[in-house]
Amino acid sequence: MGLTDHEIQHVARLARLRLTADELPVIRRDLNRVLEYVSQLQTLDLANVEPTMHVVKSETPLRHDQVEPSLPVLEATRNAAQVEEGMFKVPRIMDSEGGGAGE
Amino acid sequence: MSEAFDVIIGLEVHVELKTASKLFCCCSTAFGAPPNSQTCPVCLGLPGVLPVPNSEAIRLAVRSALALNCQVRPFSKFDRKQYFYPDLPKAYQISQYDQPLAEFGWVTIHPSGEEAKRVGIRRIHLEEDAGKLNHLGQRLGDAVGSLVDLNRAGVPLIEIVSEPDMRSAEEARLYLTELRAVLSYLDVSDLRMEEGSLRCDANVSLRPHGYQGSLEELPRVEIKNVNSIRNVQRGIEYEVVRQADMLKRGERIVRETRGFDDSTGRTYSQRSKEEAHDYRYFPEPDLPPLRLSPEWIEAQRTALPLLPDAIRRDLRSRGIPDKDVEVLVLDREAYEYWKDAAQAFSDDRLIVNWMLSDVSRLIHLRGETFATATVRPAQLVELLKLIQEGTLSGRMAKDVLEAMFETGQDAQALVKQKGLSQITDEEALMQVVNQVLETHRHVVADYLSGKEKALAYLVGQVMKLTRGQAKPDLVNRLIKEAISGSQAVSS
Amino acid sequence: MSNRLWTEEAVRLHEMFVAGKVSCEEIVQDHLEHLAAVDPGIGAFLHVAADQALAQAKEADRWSTEERQMRPLSGVPIAVKDNIVTQRMPTTAASRMLEKFYAPYNATVVEKLYAAGGILMGKTNLDEFAMGSSTEHSAFHPTRNPWQRDRVPGGSSGGSAAAVAAGMVPIALGSDTGGSIRQPAAYCGIVGMKPTYGRVSRYGLIAFASSLDQIGPMARTVRDAALLYHVIEGPDARDATSLPLTASPPTRSGPWRIGVPREYFQEGIDPRVGDVIDRYLRRLSDAGHEIRDLSLPHTRYAVATYYLIAPAEASSNLARYDGVRYGFRCDARDLVSLYERTRDEGFGPEVKRRILLGTHALSSGYYDAYYLTAQKVRTLIRQDFDAAFNAVDFVVAPTTPDVAFRFGERDDDPLKMYLGDIYTVTANLAGLPAISLPAGWVDGLPVGVQWMARPLFDNALLDAAQAAEALMPPFQFPQEVRE
Ligand SMILES: [Zn+2]
Repeated sequence: MGLTDHEIQHVARLARLRLTADELPVIRRDLNRVLEYVSQLQTLDLANVEPTMHVVKSETPLRHDQVEPSLPVLEATRNAAQVEEGMFKVPRIMDSEGGGAGE
Repeated sequence: MSEAFDVIIGLEVHVELKTASKLFCCCSTAFGAPPNSQTCPVCLGLPGVLPVPNSEAIRLAVRSALALNCQVRPFSKFDRKQYFYPDLPKAYQISQYDQPLAEFGWVTIHPSGEEAKRVGIRRIHLEEDAGKLNHLGQRLGDAVGSLVDLNRAGVPLIEIVSEPDMRSAEEARLYLTELRAVLSYLDVSDLRMEEGSLRCDANVSLRPHGYQGSLEELPRVEIKNVNSIRNVQRGIEYEVVRQADMLKRGERIVRETRGFDDSTGRTYSQRSKEEAHDYRYFPEPDLPPLRLSPEWIEAQRTALPLLPDAIRRDLRSRGIPDKDVEVLVLDREAYEYWKDAAQAFSDDRLIVNWMLSDVSRLIHLRGETFATATVRPAQLVELLKLIQEGTLSGRMAKDVLEAMFETGQDAQALVKQKGLSQITDEEALMQVVNQVLETHRHVVADYLSGKEKALAYLVGQVMKLTRGQAKPDLVNRLIKEAISGSQAVSS
Repeated sequence: MSNRLWTEEAVRLHEMFVAGKVSCEEIVQDHLEHLAAVDPGIGAFLHVAADQALAQAKEADRWSTEERQMRPLSGVPIAVKDNIVTQRMPTTAASRMLEKFYAPYNATVVEKLYAAGGILMGKTNLDEFAMGSSTEHSAFHPTRNPWQRDRVPGGSSGGSAAAVAAGMVPIALGSDTGGSIRQPAAYCGIVGMKPTYGRVSRYGLIAFASSLDQIGPMARTVRDAALLYHVIEGPDARDATSLPLTASPPTRSGPWRIGVPREYFQEGIDPRVGDVIDRYLRRLSDAGHEIRDLSLPHTRYAVATYYLIAPAEASSNLARYDGVRYGFRCDARDLVSLYERTRDEGFGPEVKRRILLGTHALSSGYYDAYYLTAQKVRTLIRQDFDAAFNAVDFVVAPTTPDVAFRFGERDDDPLKMYLGDIYTVTANLAGLPAISLPAGWVDGLPVGVQWMARPLFDNALLDAAQAAEALMPPFQFPQEVRE
């Protein structure tokens, strides 16, 4: 069972990619070929296998709570397409668009 | 609704930790800097950057967790929580998903007239804050755009998730108040709701009596980002009524996120959870797990200060009334003030009485707090000692206190300056008493005929003539003696 | 003085510069001239920093002998793959998304190159965001294989490989997520090493798959690769996954027990490549090393494992390219359209394909079946190697199942392209160090042999590779670049 166009569109929405009608069949074919290939992993018995999330190191180092100079605002915003009052400008956010601090 | 439903409330509280630098980079966390002046490649999410955790953030988070009776995990990990939003530079927030820093804690709340109750804490995890959006226009939907300031992006937060153990808006208020009090004694956060260093989301659902399913399955409404404890309470109260009305009308409650409108006291729909985000959590590959040794965790526990419940026990044992105990405990600054004063003065209750009446009134009037009060605890103690010695009457002391606040001078100096001091010389006072008895013979007669109130009037007259500098109980005694003396002579 | 300084090894250039036999300016000038002559037909560079390189050279020429000696890369021109962040040069990751991006910081490795006195000649081409194995997927132009120009140089570090092979620079930095250093090194007939994961700081490497990415050296000789490696290795306080300094495990001078995994010679390998490797192994055996047959049974699952983990992490790492703070932006009237149009136009098709695959692998309901499963199989692959290294000192195998392919040959089928990574992805999945060395020829195209060692045995690996170099000396330059 491969991914349907509808499912692919859902994934595209999650990834904030827009797929045109002509792109979709190619993408569907490619993705389904890869997914079919990777499905061979399902044949392995992994019941007692721990995942490898970090391959060599098993403990994070910590740093001291020390402030260092930040970038000048002009430098921080230099690459942005639209800047107003030292801030990055984005177009209007629809109500349906979620997100926000402390989600 | 009490007849048909139970109210089920769980709270998610975000607390900004008081570190000097951000969670994963060295930018300052200071509040109020010009937009984007506290950003660097890491917190801007530039290509190629990597996070390195701040040890102080970990310490403050563990301290909070221990004070909230949590079990701190010796092994926890970081995960990426992914969603697109302009305040989230990397399009993922580094948070903790299935192995949080701490779990299984509780907060004890003290509803008035009821027994103390434990509200469970499901988990506490560390995460980075998002930036700030400034909407151009009235509201999100009408805005022609938004401006993004990333100064807050990357500031360390802990999220404290309660169990759905609260059954009323009042309990939610008590939980938040208590939580804030505990955190205030730990010095882990500024806890300023107006600056966003303490934020609360409330999950509210109604459970019909006889409902057999799990709480998780109840349609839950999340009230987001309310900016004060009072408003959390109001929002929940409104939401309970709204949902109850819906149920009574036979309508289905949908799982959704709602905002709270301060001006109307109502909640309003923001987005439905049914199209909820798929956050695609996965372990942060840039950060190996966080390992904390049991010895280190124990050392943090040992370093905890006296916390509200212990403080309550202590204050009660000193005979301070429960009502006053609560006021002191919930306001760390007041408690510290009291504690400083109590070190130099034996009458604990007298300190509390003065603090919670006159001192409190004056600092509010002047826009001060107990921490910033012009009159310091040692100065208050000096004033109280003058009362205790009898140099000042209570009435006089109030005036002196006011002068102390106005001038910043010590009580002694003011007393000397104004020539204030209570008349304790009995002979001198006797002359005034005799004068009063002479001019108010009919009142004396009233007193003799059994009208107790007449005595108070006479005392008042003496006080008036001495401009309050006489000690009232002494005056009282002298008047009684004078009257009984003259009677003895006349009979 | 030789006017063919560009043919020299980095080690030699440094020696000559320290000895005062040649100025740094002459070295840089000669390389720039050679580069200008040959790169138009190859396309290895995305940006040549001629002025900066000459300025750096002039400064180096003022150094005393001691100062030159103290800096192991003084007198040495270096190219840097364009997914490594440089403050004074553009950093594009060969993507339209970052075409005009200016970086306000340097990658840790770049700082180390400067500190070591290296001369940064410019930024080399790659598959967009390092996703590919042909350098055809650069948003700007493809890079051609110096040996046969109708063939790809491999990828994604194809620009660095071609630049080194054609003598434009003696050494270059690449990055390797699933073979992106070793495969182009093999295709271009040079040396390319992927160090142990965590040996080289990733700070400033534009992330593709964070748990697999490593920066490594590319050179024409092992000792040049080692020279560059020793400059860039070491812990970095900015990278929590970088390894602390540990004493280098003792190196046995040989003879070695060499394991040859039979799974690397099975279906899919070009028999001519297999023959080259067989001959190479025979020479090793003749030199007194013990050749042992061994099994890495989970090798057949490596590509599937890799193509779940890498796209999943990539989908997350590439989410930040949204047009708001930097990079390409497609204006729109609302936020969602801004995101979607920016990402649609800013990313190329292969990048989008992997983002979609990775997003799916992490999405609700699929995480366990895909990402988590892959990370478990990763454990099995790692355990295969643990067991192997209990019995042998090194594992030796072909780097690729084939030789450099023609442009467009693998365009229609991404899976075919992915399967070409079969022999290289295992080292990334297991975190271990691996180096590709020239092993021979098939029809005038280089074949690479790969040496792998257990994690942290990077020095041992380099020592062994250098000793083995005697069996197969470095290749001469392709005819066309020899003038
Ligand atoms: Zn920062």
